[in-house]
Amino acid sequence: MYRYDQIDRDMLADRTAEFRGQVARRLAGELTEDQFKPLRLRNGLYLQLHAYMLRIAIPYGSLNPTQLRKLAWIGRTYDKGYGHFTTRTNLQFHWIKLADAPDIMDHLASVDMHAIQTSGNCIRNVTADPYAGATAEEIDDPRVWAEAIRQWSTIHPEFNWLPRKFKIAVTAAAKDRTAAKTHDIGLNLKRDRSGALGFEVMVGGGLGRMPYIGQTIRPFLPATRLFSYLEAILRVYNRHGRRDNIHKARIKVLVAALGRDEFASQVEAEWEKIGHTPDLPDTELARIRGAFAPKTFDTLPAVSEAFEAAKLATPAFARFARNNLKPHKVAGYAIVEVSLKAIGETPGDCSSEQMEAVADIAERYGQDDIRVTHEQNLVLPHVKLDDVAAVWAALDAVGLATPNMNLVSDIIACPGLDYCALANARAISVAQHIARKFADPDRAELVGELKVKISGCINACGHHHVGHIGILGVDKKGEEFYQLTLGGSGAEDAAVGQALGPALPYDKVAEAVDTLVETYLRERHDGERFLDTFRRTGVAPFKEAVYADVH
Amino acid sequence: MKALTANRLTDGEVVFWRKGQWVARFAEADLFADDDPAGEEAEGHAKSQRTAVVEPYLIDLTQAQGLWAPVSYRERIRALGPTNLNHGKQAEGGAAIEALLTAHGAARSTGRVDLIKRK
Repeated sequence: MYRYDQIDRDMLADRTAEFRGQVARRLAGELTEDQFKPLRLRNGLYLQLHAYMLRIAIPYGSLNPTQLRKLAWIGRTYDKGYGHFTTRTNLQFHWIKLADAPDIMDHLASVDMHAIQTSGNCIRNVTADPYAGATAEEIDDPRVWAEAIRQWSTIHPEFNWLPRKFKIAVTAAAKDRTAAKTHDIGLNLKRDRSGALGFEVMVGGGLGRMPYIGQTIRPFLPATRLFSYLEAILRVYNRHGRRDNIHKARIKVLVAALGRDEFASQVEAEWEKIGHTPDLPDTELARIRGAFAPKTFDTLPAVSEAFEAAKLATPAFARFARNNLKPHKVAGYAIVEVSLKAIGETPGDCSSEQMEAVADIAERYGQDDIRVTHEQNLVLPHVKLDDVAAVWAALDAVGLATPNMNLVSDIIACPGLDYCALANARAISVAQHIARKFADPDRAELVGELKVKISGCINACGHHHVGHIGILGVDKKGEEFYQLTLGGSGAEDAAVGQALGPALPYDKVAEAVDTLVETYLRERHDGERFLDTFRRTGVAPFKEAVYADVH
Repeated sequence: MKALTANRLTDGEVVFWRKGQWVARFAEADLFADDDPAGEEAEGHAKSQRTAVVEPYLIDLTQAQGLWAPVSYRERIRALGPTNLNHGKQAEGGAAIEALLTAHGAARSTGRVDLIKRK
């Protein structure tokens, strides 16, 4: 993974010293809250319902064991012994004290981490495929480009005061595991007929109050021109984005207002002004690429006798292998997905003990590599098949071997009204109720792939618009109600879900999801996922079943 | 009836106004009749305490099990802690906590409305 150089470290040291001074001035009364708030937000520090929340950037979801152990230590020392992984592949601590925040920043800096640009109207943490460097599907390693974008966008003077926050995703595989089309810019690595590397550039995706799926404005941008093209997009946005109305300030609204073609032509005109020289020197690209050089893999048979024997001997392990293992590009290896969705627990939460266990496992069996997914899970991208049974046992010992990846209980949920100052309704407890309904793993496997995503307000941190079943908490005459949508997808077949019908009360949501699943099982044809069946039948049978049941 | 609440500056802790001081337990908060100007006076005083608390505001109360509880569900969660884990203020238990847990009536929180206005 990428290691900071002295310039990075000096910059972080300056920044944490500056933040320490800002906190001291606030505590002494030299800064008012109105003056201090934008400063703390620039360092990822929010004030939520019960305490301060610190959002720590995990660049493109990539961690090493030292960093994860440091996060575990911070959780134990300064929080209540756990952290919460988010849909931005970041980590949030929900019980932070203001006076401790500068010390925490110093501890983060000691392992090349920080919380800069995890808030504010700037370019946020870049999302990348959590299987990067491990999947045979990829054209190139997206982390190389995500890291280059991180360096370019960090404290970029021109793009630190955009009309609104800005999110970029980089993927390099046909299967999109980044939700690229819901980002302000989605970059899909491709090769042209000559073998040259480039990007399909999608712009204007986003969720929140007005959901849009990103539109392609350039089918193939030569990779050597990426940064000038990003600059051109951001300049058009900076010039015309709606600063007068926060609800219309995202680039998606601008792209929709201008139309894709007009927006694209303005970007091209801006790009023309910048010139035609390559914008990332080959030497710098090579330096960054060197940090992601392919790991050294042993030559192993494609079939592991130990792995096959363990599956036969232990049905629970066989279930884990069916659901949580993905093919690796190298024979004899696997990608292991670690679910943070134990039945009845808080989606995305991870205790300090669990973080330390994952760090140990990654060190012993996983080439020191850990990834965070936008679906609030972890990934060990490089595990020998021979070692998977030992990894499973070690995960199981700390409650991290739930075999439910992509199944109905693998639910995305934002912190919701339990923690968040903006939320209208709870999301976590709704997720807990649904997961308990599908606690039977046989039934969950029978249902198959089903992505349930829950947000506690219209800001859509839980990605409800793109859930196969999306659930949005609303405030209806002062009570928690939930609007359900069906047929959304955040993957390569991205779509915004369709409303099911009137909002349901809190205690009817899990029951309604159960009814939706039963309707799917009744209606599905061979091999159809929930999403496929919905796309074939439309909303009618689902709506009829839920509202017949509820009323 | 109303109570005055805020988050403590140093740690973000949810606090309530009591005789010119801030306390962590809702059960110890001063209660102000709806038409009692003392509530707004306390709020004005609290807003001048810039190194003590952040964003003080009055919340509406309702009766539950013979005790007072915030009308708003959001404010009850602030007074109790999150519902997914039992490690907020609710961990202390007792009659006052029980009253908060069983309270009903959820008008939108004044704090939430203020937040929306600020956005």
